[in-house]
Amino acid sequence: MIPFTVIGGFLGAGKTTLLNRLLAGAAGRRFAVLVNDFGALDIDGKLVAAHGGDTVALANGCLCCTIGDSLVETLLELLERPERFDHIVVEASGVADPARIADIAVLEPQLERDGVIVVVDAAEVQERAADRRVGDTVLRQIKAADLLVLNKIDLADDPAAVHDWLSTQAAAPILEARQADVPIDVLFGLDRYGVAGSKPDQAFRSWSYAWSEPVGREALMAMLSDTKDVLRAKGVVRFADAPDRRSIVHMVGRRIDIGDGGPWTEEESRLVLLGPKPVLGSLQRE
Amino acid sequence: MSTIVYAARRIVTMNPDNPFATHVAVRDGRILGAGTLESLSGWGRFDLDEQFRDKVILPGFVEGHSHAYEGGVWKFPYVGFFERTSPDGKRSPGLKSIDEVVAALQVYEKTMPKDGSTLFAWGFDPIYFTGRRMNLGDLDKVSTERPVLVLHSNFHVLNVNTPVFARANITRHTNVHGIVKDDKGEPTGELQENTAKYLAYKAVGIDLSGLLSDEPATWGFARVAQLAGVTTATDLHNTLPDSTVLAYEKATASVDFPLRLLPAFAALAMPPDDGIARVRALRKKNSERLRYGLVKMVTDGSIQGLSARMRWPGYYDGTPNGVWNVGPDEIDRILLAYHRAGFQVHIHTNGDEASEVAIESVERALATAPRWDHRHTLQHAQMADAGQFRRMKALGMCANLFANHIFYWGDVHYARTMGPERAERMDACGTALGLGVPFAIHCDAPVTPIGPLFTAWCAVNRLTASGRVLGTAERISVADALRAITLGAAYTLKLDEELGSIDVGKRADFAILDEDPLAVPPEKLKDVPVWGTMVGGRIFQAPRT
Ligand SMILES: [Zn+2]
Ligand SMILES: [Zn+2]
Repeated sequence: MIPFTVIGGFLGAGKTTLLNRLLAGAAGRRFAVLVNDFGALDIDGKLVAAHGGDTVALANGCLCCTIGDSLVETLLELLERPERFDHIVVEASGVADPARIADIAVLEPQLERDGVIVVVDAAEVQERAADRRVGDTVLRQIKAADLLVLNKIDLADDPAAVHDWLSTQAAAPILEARQADVPIDVLFGLDRYGVAGSKPDQAFRSWSYAWSEPVGREALMAMLSDTKDVLRAKGVVRFADAPDRRSIVHMVGRRIDIGDGGPWTEEESRLVLLGPKPVLGSLQRE
Repeated sequence: MSTIVYAARRIVTMNPDNPFATHVAVRDGRILGAGTLESLSGWGRFDLDEQFRDKVILPGFVEGHSHAYEGGVWKFPYVGFFERTSPDGKRSPGLKSIDEVVAALQVYEKTMPKDGSTLFAWGFDPIYFTGRRMNLGDLDKVSTERPVLVLHSNFHVLNVNTPVFARANITRHTNVHGIVKDDKGEPTGELQENTAKYLAYKAVGIDLSGLLSDEPATWGFARVAQLAGVTTATDLHNTLPDSTVLAYEKATASVDFPLRLLPAFAALAMPPDDGIARVRALRKKNSERLRYGLVKMVTDGSIQGLSARMRWPGYYDGTPNGVWNVGPDEIDRILLAYHRAGFQVHIHTNGDEASEVAIESVERALATAPRWDHRHTLQHAQMADAGQFRRMKALGMCANLFANHIFYWGDVHYARTMGPERAERMDACGTALGLGVPFAIHCDAPVTPIGPLFTAWCAVNRLTASGRVLGTAERISVADALRAITLGAAYTLKLDEELGSIDVGKRADFAILDEDPLAVPPEKLKDVPVWGTMVGGRIFQAPRT
């Protein structure tokens, strides 16, 4: 299964800058990037090429003739290509609801829904959110986020006030950034198997947990939802209520997905968490 | 250089200098003149053709907003609420309940090979049904062996049977927007979002957009237009992939192709610079029956689909405002690019906020790059009010109003989406006429059937399906409505100097009718039978059923 990330956010928030950072910093991982907004097609072509990725311009879904859907169509063509990608990223159009785009990965068995990342312009978001024509669109995007990037924080008059306001609009964790400079691991996963191998940014730490005995489902869920500062979790778990199955636990921001990964074959349950240090101290083994 | 003079019971020319005639002379596919036999005889030798002496001839109807998919959908059975005519002239009866739809599909299923192949039907229209919605069990009664898919008339919602869910891996655990579930959490078989629908199509191996835009589909579109007296029709939103361009080129190359086809390039399909180059290149392929050059932008969704962008106070029933297909800033940027490049842009706006944004966008484009006679046209503009029409007039814009909506969805707009006042003035032909905004009226086929006389009837009578009159003040006369489906529509396409009236030098494109639309009672306008058409001097008789 290929992780699938959607980057949403209003025009000018910094989605393309973020994508370019991702491509520049993604050593060894092959990203396919689909851009659903030709207004933002200034992705650095060299970076894309260097990573063996692919930039594809897409039409907006047209409600006048909703028979075809070019985004899904292009995505499925991509999956049929012989070359494999480690990660697929869609840059949503400035008015799209990124959660709807992420639904593709729920339905398509070859894809694993990773995160919906919404980039917000700290200097403009409140004005945009109050605009009578686009305010509802902006707020819909913010509510759709698994992770919020509060970008251009250096340009905001009162950064703390914007941060507070944003936290009242959505439950997702907020990462402040300048020029979309955010830790790639937090946004795009540890690596494709969820095993700590990469080196998270200095401000973030990863923790590995292992359990030899089956794990209580409710206890684990409670643990994950309680620790507000865990930004990501990934693991293979043997739940007490399904001891013969590999349950794949996947968390981005506040969203937790549990999928079935076939019969249990592992030695032990493993879970990797990622978040800012040192907040995970309270998280103890069962 | 032969000349044929056609005699008719009456010829309605749309030329105010010479409004009615009894004879029309045709040479080289063009109109040599209209008048009496005597007044035309000065043009020299001619053959007199009297086959239309009982008929009434009008300029060929111009459908300013339709989609060529209308020709492709007829490859599949139609299961709609209203009777509808296929390209071969057969009438499919309206189906008035879920049980009738299921029964019709069961009959059709028996005619299909027993190979598990997919049954796809279209046009399902449950808004006038009372009681429950269609579900998996209904379509399982049609077959539990083969996939069965029923697309609603709005082209947004799809109903499927259990085999489709099995192949697409959709279960109660599939948490995706648009997969409708019942109160027990089980998916009902209804899919409301593109993503879910598209993956259902893929799971059963249907390439719908391909099937709907190939060469046979293009022929089907021309035939179904011809049956309605249409000689020129737009395909008003197409990304124009090479396969479609080839299909259009092949179909229209035949002199037997009974239509002038005007595809409009979907401006959101690629960056404006690339799009402009694309339309310029396509224009080089233009011929008598195939005309590229129109550009289309889609700004919001649809009113009945609850996705239109409305100004305050929004949806009557409190539904949140709809969605932008492209945001206001982007509308400015894209419109300006095509405007500067000299193109005429057709802008889909259903809700009045979308119309407002589009009008302001045109205003800014004109301030940045002044241009005369651009004729940028709002398509649908269903909720535009008098103030917006005044601005359109001031800016040199046109409107193409969706008059068919009054009949098909007027009751829903009155009761749920717009409420009485705004529904009474929806598709405001009277206001457009009074303020002098050049306008056309349209069907948006396959959303509603192509049939300009029906569309004109809607603008004249403003009757809903339940029989309510929506806004007598916005009614227009039969003569004005006939102008809107001929010269009016041609004007919105910048073809009024070539088409749209019966006048010296114009193309010999006629709608040939069995009765006189100006003589029948206005409430019978839609029932005037179409004998056939003439396109560029060639006669195309409609098949009789
Ligand atoms: Zn439209
Ligand atoms: Zn349309």
